Amino acid sequence: MTSTKGTVFNIQRYSIDDGPGIRTTVFFKGCPLSCVWCSNPESQNLAPELMHRDSLCKRCFRCVEACPAGAITVGSDGIVIDRDLCDACGECVSTCTHDAMRITGKEMSVDEVFDVVRRDADYYRDSGGGVTLSGGEVLFQPEFALALLKRFREAGFDTCVDSSGQGDTEGLRRLIPYVDLFYFDIKHLDPKVHRAETGRTNENILRNFAEVAVSGVPLAVRVPVVPGFNDSVDAIADIAELVAVHAPRATVHLLPYHRYGQQKYAMLGLDYELAAAETPSEEFLKAARAIMESRGLACEIAV
Amino acid sequence: MTSETLTRESGTIDKVAAEEIRSVVVMTDRLRKLKKEWEDAEPQVYVDDTLLFTQSWKETEALPLDLRWAKAFAKRMEECPIQIRDGELIVGSLTKFIRGNNVTVAMKPREILAMCESGRFDRKLSDISSTAIDPEDLRKLKEDSEYWVEHMNPVNYVNEALREELGDSHFDLMFDRGMIFEGRAVRENPDRGLFQGWGAFGGGVGQPSADVINRGLNFVIARAQAEMEKMDASGAKLPGSASAALRKYYLLKSIIVECQAVITFAKRHAALARELAAKETDPTRKTELEKIAEACDRVPAEPPRDYWEAVQSLRFLHVAFWKESSDRPEVPVGRVDQILNPYYQQDLEEGALTRQQAAELLGAFWLKIRETENLVTIKREHRAAPGTLLPNVTLCGRDENDRDLTNEISWMVLEVMRQIKLSEPAVYIRYHENMDEKFVLHALECNRDFGGGNPAFLNDGLGTERYLVRGVPKYDAVNWNASGCLGYHLDCGEHMAGSFNLNQAKVLDVTLHDGFDTRTGKQLGPHTGDVSRFTTIEQFYEAWEKQEDYFADALRKHYFIWWSSEIANSPMSGLRAAMHYEDCIPAGLTSREGGARYKVCSASWVGDKGITDVGDCLAAIKYLVLDQKKVSMAELLKAMDANWEGYEDLRKMCLNAPKYGNDDDYVDDIYNHVSKRSQEILQSRPDPFTGEKPLLFKGAAAGHVTHGKAVGALPNGRFAGTPLYDGGISAMPGADTHGPTALINSATKWSHAYELAGVALNMKFSKAVLNTPEKLKKMAALVKTFNKRGGWHVQFNIHSAQELMEARKEPAAHKDLLVRVGGYSAYFVDLPPELQEEIVERTMHEVG
Ligand code: SF4
Ligand code: SF4
Repeated sequence: MTSTKGTVFNIQRYSIDDGPGIRTTVFFKGCPLSCVWCSNPESQNLAPELMHRDSLCKRCFRCVEACPAGAITVGSDGIVIDRDLCDACGECVSTCTHDAMRITGKEMSVDEVFDVVRRDADYYRDSGGGVTLSGGEVLFQPEFALALLKRFREAGFDTCVDSSGQGDTEGLRRLIPYVDLFYFDIKHLDPKVHRAETGRTNENILRNFAEVAVSGVPLAVRVPVVPGFNDSVDAIADIAELVAVHAPRATVHLLPYHRYGQQKYAMLGLDYELAAAETPSEEFLKAARAIMESRGLACEIAV
Repeated sequence: MTSETLTRESGTIDKVAAEEIRSVVVMTDRLRKLKKEWEDAEPQVYVDDTLLFTQSWKETEALPLDLRWAKAFAKRMEECPIQIRDGELIVGSLTKFIRGNNVTVAMKPREILAMCESGRFDRKLSDISSTAIDPEDLRKLKEDSEYWVEHMNPVNYVNEALREELGDSHFDLMFDRGMIFEGRAVRENPDRGLFQGWGAFGGGVGQPSADVINRGLNFVIARAQAEMEKMDASGAKLPGSASAALRKYYLLKSIIVECQAVITFAKRHAALARELAAKETDPTRKTELEKIAEACDRVPAEPPRDYWEAVQSLRFLHVAFWKESSDRPEVPVGRVDQILNPYYQQDLEEGALTRQQAAELLGAFWLKIRETENLVTIKREHRAAPGTLLPNVTLCGRDENDRDLTNEISWMVLEVMRQIKLSEPAVYIRYHENMDEKFVLHALECNRDFGGGNPAFLNDGLGTERYLVRGVPKYDAVNWNASGCLGYHLDCGEHMAGSFNLNQAKVLDVTLHDGFDTRTGKQLGPHTGDVSRFTTIEQFYEAWEKQEDYFADALRKHYFIWWSSEIANSPMSGLRAAMHYEDCIPAGLTSREGGARYKVCSASWVGDKGITDVGDCLAAIKYLVLDQKKVSMAELLKAMDANWEGYEDLRKMCLNAPKYGNDDDYVDDIYNHVSKRSQEILQSRPDPFTGEKPLLFKGAAAGHVTHGKAVGALPNGRFAGTPLYDGGISAMPGADTHGPTALINSATKWSHAYELAGVALNMKFSKAVLNTPEKLKKMAALVKTFNKRGGWHVQFNIHSAQELMEARKEPAAHKDLLVRVGGYSAYFVDLPPELQEEIVERTMHEVG
């Protein structure tokens, strides 16, 4: 079982925004959605990818020579990477002496992940913390997730899963007994809008939401508030309705959209479609919170 | 009742009291005005004391050294200008300026002369902030320096003794910026001052004692007089040799002269206050001045009658130490909450004091402390925390029955810090698990709102443990406080004897070159083999240990010669002996000479600097050369000797090798091995005076720059001459990329902290990590785990706007700077310019 492997793009220790206490968050790589506002675009693709940090690039062009695939060329301002040619072999990473190249994503076994997670057991104990699986999408690698969760349970660690809800319902059902807290994203209730901005409709998500809600596992709902997508009273009211009906004891977290992930798109050679979007206004966030509260839901705005 | 509930009950203060303390207004109109005056004042060089010192020295030529010192102190206390500024409640200043730098020429005449000639008096490391001097004062100061340059010891006795005993080659090396050793007295540019660079204390720091405040100086004077009468009585047997008897006699006399001088200083303030009161037309101020007069008449000669007098007494004694120590004025304020609380409680019960009044008085005391600046001299600037006089305050802790000692004054100090917003004094909390969590949260909030790693947390259990293991009984072992640059002080007489530093990174550098020093071209240590032939890490360990052994011997000899020359040639401080009157009076010695209650009080300190660097270096060798075989040792040596020029790829490999601070057992095991071994080697040579194991000092803020200058390029990827890692247990800058828990784990895998001082874990956070009550709780949990794992000292720094701006200019040097926004972490340098701008703006706004 522990030989199960999965792809992870980051394991963050002293993670303090992903559940109670001090936690370690394991970020799964690979996600079936492609939300235009995603602040971790490196989490979308399951395969490891090359990231180029232009702020550190000294334009020495040694990587151009080093790339066996011929994927790097000299452009008008710095290097240009042909993503179709690049297979993330990592040659350029060891060649670059300025840390301007990095491979994101790594295949890891359950044991390897566990070995990192167990190191902070003392902190979990003293703070009431534990481990969180996040993504990417946890349900995208269900076997890996299940094996990890079982292992954490055995060790007595509190577990939390942060999911977009998109994934095989059977896979989800098998995870539930090993989860102490769910963070579940609800983005929009209109399937068409949902599809336009995330690449998928929301039927599967809503079904899975109901599944988690009836399981009785504590649940918090995360709502990314994205201008032009769901920053309308109606959209928020719909979400409030859904949560109030299915999971009246859930806390709702409003996550205001921010652009801090923007640069990562360039590092991965991707376009950033939301370049013009603003951060939602405080007034709107407060109004959204009021809507949630009017439905009897506890609601927090992330800061 | 279990001990658990006992502890909680005693430590948790009344809810009403807590509420009231949190709502006191520290910054009253009065304090706002005084603080504004301080902010607007220009730092000034203060010369009156040094001129009085010289004058007294000229008048006492025929007297014994100890007495001359006491008289020179008395002269300053009796004749220095004093003042009571409008609105002040707590009085007594080191200098006559609102921001003054005191200099004592006799201690370092050449340096001061050089400053006079260049016209530059720097008070910080940066060039921006130098200190003004009045032209007339400059003339007098220059004259004074010239006098001392002419009249000082023609030979520098310590240096000469060292040259004689250790030979030229070591002697030169010592002077070469702490090549291997860096002793207190022996540094580059040695100034043949009256007493060696460290002032008359010959090392060590004195501080006000709670017991003496409670009893009054007259009590101590009476004790000294009684002892003298015993010696005078006909037929009395004098102690030991004639010279011991004489020294005892003059120490007793010094105690009396110096204590009386402090009383005179206080009474002069009483007279001035009365004079001002007579002229005062505002009835409120008149009453205040009368109260000041009454207080100054009473303390520190007699026991304080109320809280106000207790604060005033503490202030006078603190200033007295500052005045006396002159060249080494790092005087801790001590356990302020323990000293003041009994008086405060008594006044509250009697209805003579409100919490509001108590807070204002404490705030007034804080402002007085901040009046004094530190002139950074050439010697000091490489070593000490820049511009600080280290007036450390210590709070909380437990008593001998393990009861929490947090009290209302502990809470009030936090409130004062929060509102007064001064970077000094630094506050240290003696943290333990049974502390009220609310107090810890309040302290973290303070830190967040003001930054600067203030207050810091010390492990209460370990602090006491380090004395217990050395045989100090618990009732005395629990009474310690933070002192100096991350050291500590036992109230019953710790001396903090000389500390000598072994530059561990240099020892490794020499080891890798078979005992040869590439920088000077000299064979410095024994031949321990050509490392390019080594095939196992054990061979490296063995060679390194041989060098370590060799230099540990030399270090001890160095220490012995330096320390004995120092003791034989410098005066004893009566004021210090007065604080430990119970032991020092009968012994006729200060704690420096072994007059204290416990041997550990006089034990020497050995600075074990750069051992973390050594761990990383050996890990890089093991990883790249021995295990992965990516490069040969010969090639690596070539690259190091070329200071990596033309070997950029290899340097990068070295930088990417496993590094301490990431909870990586590969390197942490190596670090633990060398760290343990170096400790064993250094401690296997007992202190030549006490026979005790020396204490180890990792040296936090000081030394890593100086030491680094002597060290060539190292296998951890470091360039020649650049600073070593700071903080004693800090990681290579930017190399700890796995977050705070990983860093703490690396630092606490081997619990050894009670042997050490100066092991501060400095952690950097962006403010978002502390911006909600839940996150504060998580930080409190981090402190808890740190302590449970045996960590000694942790402090949290918040990124400043300035740091972020630097990162913008120089991304490569700040590539690992993480900023957090709403739970999202991003590397600052990767963010687009406008977002960087936004974060800088917000940081500036928040920190204020
Ligand atoms: S090797 Fe590194 S610094 Fe040089 S051009 Fe390539 S990415 Fe830039
Ligand atoms: S990762 Fe490999 S294939 Fe991709 S750019 Fe770098 S060297 Fe070329």
